[in-house]
Amino acid sequence: MTVAAVSDAGPLIHLAEVDSLALVDAFDRLHVPETVYEELDRGGLPDGLADRSFELVGAPDDGPAGEDLDPGERAALAVARDRDAVLLTDDLAAREVASEAGLDVHGSLGVIAFGYSRGLVDREEAAALMRALQRETSLFVTDAVVERGIRMLDDT
Amino acid sequence: MFDGPDEYETAAEPGERRLIRYFERRFISDHDRSRRMAADLSERVREIADARDLPESEVFERALERGIEDLWEDLVLARYLDGDIGREEAVELIGRATVERAERERDVVEEDIAWGLDA
Repeated sequence: MTVAAVSDAGPLIHLAEVDSLALVDAFDRLHVPETVYEELDRGGLPDGLADRSFELVGAPDDGPAGEDLDPGERAALAVARDRDAVLLTDDLAAREVASEAGLDVHGSLGVIAFGYSRGLVDREEAAALMRALQRETSLFVTDAVVERGIRMLDDT
Repeated sequence: MFDGPDEYETAAEPGERRLIRYFERRFISDHDRSRRMAADLSERVREIADARDLPESEVFERALERGIEDLWEDLVLARYLDGDIGREEAVELIGRATVERAERERDVVEEDIAWGLDA
């Protein structure tokens, strides 16, 4: 099955922080809204982003409403809806707006699981990356929750 | 004052050594990272001590208390999420907001991983 995704800044930053940005190659197409790219550029592009294959895209003006969201998140939501793509975000508010709009939305841990299912990393690498995301990045998630997620890898 | 873990180990008080080991286990995955992290921690301890007009030992003590609290929350949540204790007991031990936050995280993470494995 072909899977296209559009990412806001969060997963690109978090995955780069654990040297695993190459996992976005698991997607058949990756869109990065220009607004998101500009946000990333202002803070310094994540390591390895230049080596990845992605399409810079403009965002339509009629994306789902989300007053609490930043411009990058709104742009990513709009592009995801416009292109019927999976939205990648680690922001809970953006996730809620996307879910209410009927979009398929997932975060960095989902990208690792996706990369695992597509054979980019093995089980041990996927587990190590999930733990690294929890311990070494600004992604906030309880470690007990991450350990439950890792056990789900064993059920496949 | 402290340039890395070796200097810490020899110069630190017992409580400080426990804190150092806590940080090493929790945040540090290899020796190079360990040395960098220890150097960063040393600088931060000095800066906090200066800014709050506290002795560095007091900064270490407060950090140790916070770290233990954090580890305790993790333990209670793991026991609750694994079904070893009930929800009300978890709420009593670490508070309703913390339990509810973990439940939201659990739902999101499980949803994400299930999707990733099946997509």
